[in-house]
Amino acid sequence: MTNAKFEAPPKGGFSFDLCKRNEMLLNKGLKAPGFLKTGTTIVGLIFQDGVILGADTRATEGPIVADKNCEKIHYMAPNIYCCGAGTAADTEAVTDMVSSQLKLHRYHTGRESRVVTSLTLLKTHLFRYQGYVSAALVLGGVDITGPHLHTIYPHGSTDTLPFATMGSGSLAAMSVFESKFREGLSKEEGIKLVCEAISSGIFNDLGSGSNVDVCVITKGNVEYLRNHVEPNPRTYTSAKGCTFTKPTEVLSTKVSLREKKAEVNEGGDAMEE
Amino acid sequence: MDKNLDFNGPHSMGTTIVGVTYKDGVILGADSRTSTGVYVANRASDKITQLTDNVYVCRSGSAADSQIVSDYVRYFLHQHTIQLGQPATVKVAANLVRLLAYNNKDMLQTGMIVGGWDKYEGGKIYGIPLGGTVIEQPFAIGGSGSSYLYGFFDQAWKEGMTKDEAEDLVKKAVSLAIARDGASGGVVRTVVINKDGATRNFYPGDQLPLWHEELMPQNSLLDIWGAAASPEPMTTE
Amino acid sequence: MTKQQANWSPYDFNGGTCVAVAGADYCVIAADTRMSTGYNILTRDYSKICKLAEKSLLASSGFQADVRALQKHLEARHLIYQHQHNKQMSCPAMAQLLSNTLYYKRFFPYYAFNVLGGLDTEGKGCVFTYDAVGSYEKVGYSAQGSGAKLITPFLDNQLKSPSPLLLPVQDAVTPLSEAEAIDLVKTAFASATERDIYTGDNLEIVVLNKEGLRRDYMDLRKD
Repeated sequence: MTNAKFEAPPKGGFSFDLCKRNEMLLNKGLKAPGFLKTGTTIVGLIFQDGVILGADTRATEGPIVADKNCEKIHYMAPNIYCCGAGTAADTEAVTDMVSSQLKLHRYHTGRESRVVTSLTLLKTHLFRYQGYVSAALVLGGVDITGPHLHTIYPHGSTDTLPFATMGSGSLAAMSVFESKFREGLSKEEGIKLVCEAISSGIFNDLGSGSNVDVCVITKGNVEYLRNHVEPNPRTYTSAKGCTFTKPTEVLSTKVSLREKKAEVNEGGDAMEE
Repeated sequence: MDKNLDFNGPHSMGTTIVGVTYKDGVILGADSRTSTGVYVANRASDKITQLTDNVYVCRSGSAADSQIVSDYVRYFLHQHTIQLGQPATVKVAANLVRLLAYNNKDMLQTGMIVGGWDKYEGGKIYGIPLGGTVIEQPFAIGGSGSSYLYGFFDQAWKEGMTKDEAEDLVKKAVSLAIARDGASGGVVRTVVINKDGATRNFYPGDQLPLWHEELMPQNSLLDIWGAAASPEPMTTE
Repeated sequence: MTKQQANWSPYDFNGGTCVAVAGADYCVIAADTRMSTGYNILTRDYSKICKLAEKSLLASSGFQADVRALQKHLEARHLIYQHQHNKQMSCPAMAQLLSNTLYYKRFFPYYAFNVLGGLDTEGKGCVFTYDAVGSYEKVGYSAQGSGAKLITPFLDNQLKSPSPLLLPVQDAVTPLSEAEAIDLVKTAFASATERDIYTGDNLEIVVLNKEGLRRDYMDLRKD
């Protein structure tokens, strides 16, 4: 009996092949590249007819704004949307993955997706990766059992709440909700409160900024209000504009081949079977 | 930035959970605070989770770990109930929790109290602390707030209490722990389980007894100062 | 049980950007008024520009406590200078004093990134730019602080300066008029605020010329 183990071919998931190498490089002093973090404010609340989700639109990479108008409210199903905070790639990937699983599930069952189904799929995935998939989500939707709002943390724990906030601006936004939220808000009141909470994050949290995106989900209807409020226009533009002091010098406009073309064998080799 | 405000840190339920047996069954109790460091992530969480019609579990420790464990146990118990054609016993439920907690002890940071009623053994409480031990107990306490309750339970728990006596004990115990333990707070939730089924109860923070040097719950500082003494509103004019 | 240890650091970073542009007969010194730490804004209205002498203005970003300590030290040194010489210190003299002050703390530096702007004894604009330990250089324009990496290439493109290696020494001042320089600084800050999270709220612009000193403000993004 040999001790040789045969590795089964991977069935899916992430490849950890390079972890050992990266650890070695890190120990040798290599600086790992930074990830796009959506230092974010995302919120959600339940109002009289359904759920309202909200998000800011700033994506940062350290102290630099990488995207001034990104989308943080992701599609999950026709009746379910999900706000994402954390590493942009993770929130994007995890919501896309689950949204695809939900669509297959709908084909299989012929029924509308439920919010708890997406909740379970998201949390099992995040739990499996023990917090390394850094996605903090606010999940909202309306299904056969009514309106639902959940928060999901990177480690896979979930909460069910009437109002929720996430991301670096969550404290600023939560202070607005804690002082002004009440049960049975109208649609207009709900949108106004969500905008106020997001604005609180935009102005008081440096990780959040630019515009307010809102998504209103009611029974049988979704309104995605992209850039519902734009409170941060450009402050100054020079009257005469800016030009390059010296135009870029044109060296040549002729296109020449760098190498001789490969010769074509007219007869052609016999093709291998 | 405040090191305690690490939102990437795992959620832990600095908790107070209790379970007591009484004459006709069991009563489980828990506070409702979930925190990340010093931030209260959820002030109205439900730490008493249903496993079957007649078995519930109190969760403490990592929120993610305890949720996944109870999700699995609920799933296994549903299967077991169908295969058996009758309700699962509390002992079976506790054993399933133990199995997961023991086999994955290197991965899990969670302590649980399983409680319920079945026709064979009546009301039973099982404590399942960190490593995956199961102990059948007349009463069990857990979470960070439990350290304030050992002496209290030694003194106050009596064999053969009535339902009301037992629920008052649970309420009193959780509110005592909330008063002293910073990681516990919010409301008190209880579940009463006996031969007639399970009843959920909810006691808001402002309806709990006030203990030594505790302050009345306030919505706003202005309530303490009173309208007359309230400061001039800030204006920019 | 996790190991308990003191994890205290003497420094913080409070963000902010400073720019100075020197012209033939003027000097523009500008800085935003945001002070922040981590992801929090401490105040939206804190001036980073300090008038050290009649014709020397210091704009500094970095760690506010160190910046303030440095400013107070320089103010005190300038007061002594006035008592001893019965005159205001010139801008080049202040530049050397600042360098010496910074280098004095070579092994526990002031966490401060400075640009000193002013008019020299002939009334010509001059800008001096520094690192945290006192290395300095006379330049025609400079940007320091959190938005410097965004603004510097823009200024390099718009205002080409002569190489400091050329002999005879070339004049460092920019060819722009005062109004053009102010317009350029406003554009630079409006753009930096779009992309740097630590720059924003308000822009304070101070102009020094033969008429004296003029202060101007402009709104920046507040997010």
